[in-house]
Amino acid sequence: MSGNPYQDDRGNKDASIANPKGQGTAENTRKKGKATPAPGGPFLIGDTMTGGYGKGPDILHDCTIAVNPGEIAVIVGPNGAGKSTAMKAVFGMLNVHSGSVRLDGEDITALSPQDRVIKGMGFVPQTSNIFTSLTVEENLEMGAFIRKDDFRETMHQIYDLFPILKDKRNQAAGELSGGQRQQVAVGRALMTQPKVLMLDEPTAGVSPIVMDELFDRIIDVARTGIPILMVEQNARQALEIADRGYVLVQGRNGYSGTGKELLADPEVRKSFLGG
Amino acid sequence: MDFLNAIIALSNFVIVPAIAYGSQLALGALGVTLIYSILRFSNFAHGDTMAFGAMCTILVTWVFQSVGISFGPLPTALLALPFGILACMALVLVTDRAVYRFYRDQKAKPVILVIVSMGVMFIMNGIVRFIIGPGDQRFADGERFIMSARDFKAWTGLSEGLAIRTSQGITFVTAIIVVALLFWFLNKTRTGKSMRAYSDNEDLALLSGINPERVVMYTWLIVAALATVAGVLYGLDKSFKPFTYFQLLLPIFASAIVGGLGNPIGAIAGGFVIAFSEITITYAWKKVLIYLLPESLEPSTLVQLLSTDYKFAVSFVILLIVLLFRPTGLFKGKAL
Repeated sequence: MSGNPYQDDRGNKDASIANPKGQGTAENTRKKGKATPAPGGPFLIGDTMTGGYGKGPDILHDCTIAVNPGEIAVIVGPNGAGKSTAMKAVFGMLNVHSGSVRLDGEDITALSPQDRVIKGMGFVPQTSNIFTSLTVEENLEMGAFIRKDDFRETMHQIYDLFPILKDKRNQAAGELSGGQRQQVAVGRALMTQPKVLMLDEPTAGVSPIVMDELFDRIIDVARTGIPILMVEQNARQALEIADRGYVLVQGRNGYSGTGKELLADPEVRKSFLGG
Repeated sequence: MDFLNAIIALSNFVIVPAIAYGSQLALGALGVTLIYSILRFSNFAHGDTMAFGAMCTILVTWVFQSVGISFGPLPTALLALPFGILACMALVLVTDRAVYRFYRDQKAKPVILVIVSMGVMFIMNGIVRFIIGPGDQRFADGERFIMSARDFKAWTGLSEGLAIRTSQGITFVTAIIVVALLFWFLNKTRTGKSMRAYSDNEDLALLSGINPERVVMYTWLIVAALATVAGVLYGLDKSFKPFTYFQLLLPIFASAIVGGLGNPIGAIAGGFVIAFSEITITYAWKKVLIYLLPESLEPSTLVQLLSTDYKFAVSFVILLIVLLFRPTGLFKGKAL
């Protein structure tokens, strides 16, 4: 994807010498930057971010997304608009060469992704968002990896939020159904007790009933005061529960406003909501 | 009585040596499997890592022997083992820092790392031969036998003897302890679970706040320890010669792949499968058959399927069969 010769496997399909499964794509994992104070502004903001993967072309162009406590912010947009990329950029998983990311009064642009977790960011990626070979409980434990205190209380809360996980806790997470997997994924992210939760298409690939259920849970989480930044395919349903909405078009901010404003905007309706 | 004699002869020449050899292969294959599942490539330098660890242990053993430190009936090498492990850990960490880290930063595809590890293999091979020389080194001391053939004969009155060498006993016991520790570590400790998580999904491990460099470091440390233990045990059991460690790579890889790459239980099982096949196929069965068969059927030849010179062919054939008919290995691989 970036013309890096090291990333070309020359057509090798021999799994007896190379194990491509689960290999990471995140960049900047060895960054050792420090957070600097930057008071004011929204709780979490990715401010005028420009960047892309590796040495490849820029995918985001001056893209800004922000969220405040108690709010749900939703990013919608057509395929390839850079929604997931914007989320990864906020999380520091790719090169952002201009713009900044600020969380809770601190500039965290220089931090590695794992340090951002310690700062209180929780992220549920769109795909491969659970450890399939680990049990449900181990998944949650890994979510609590950075915590030094007793996390059993949080685990109980998550089992209360998603009761089905309690029954399946000793089962390998990879054996669960799509909806249950998403619950594990969200549960894992909540185990860090994040100050902000980022969800990349939490309802992708689940049935409509499970989708409603998941939306309800997400609203439950937001009511506890955790700001939620979410990418959604189901634009209409997502904007209905959103306090803020961003429509991305080709890596730029197309439209933004409250969820209701965007739903009422005839331009947005025509282009992205199917009339 | 003949039947008992046959069993004793079989134990003496096949079962006991195969258990010892199998334990050594299992320890080697565990290292290969760990690197495969966490760093995601087949480490061709593993045999030479074993040689380096064993060499450092031998050098420390010689120092101990020259100043008169001994471990009673046990080989002095066991006392020197921790130093060998530390030296080997230093070597792999330096190698990782100098070589592999660059490719990790590049997000290089695993197959590139395989070739890189081949380069590392040649360098390590050279270092070992440069320091200790290409020849055979003996460093075993202490009691030679736990039970000698003569004692066994006197004790049981059978005409066949069963000898268990100290090195074989130590190999088996050490292997059990090391494997138990490794499994406990991977399944029960926070760091061990984080290694499994990283093996499963690197990006998600990162999103859980697991530091990838930390995981990689722990992996190398464990692998260095496993490699040194395996190398020293093999050296005690046979003898130390740098080139044999390079050759060991084949049975070790065969063990890991036969068991299912990435699966630690598979690595152990694979080690024993390879060891038992190698030894049973290259063993001259004449003695055992004479005891078992009626006189009229007694074999006149050695009944040796393959000369011991061809023992590596056995690993190769098993490897081929497994890759053809069950490419994921006996135990389904990739499940650390």
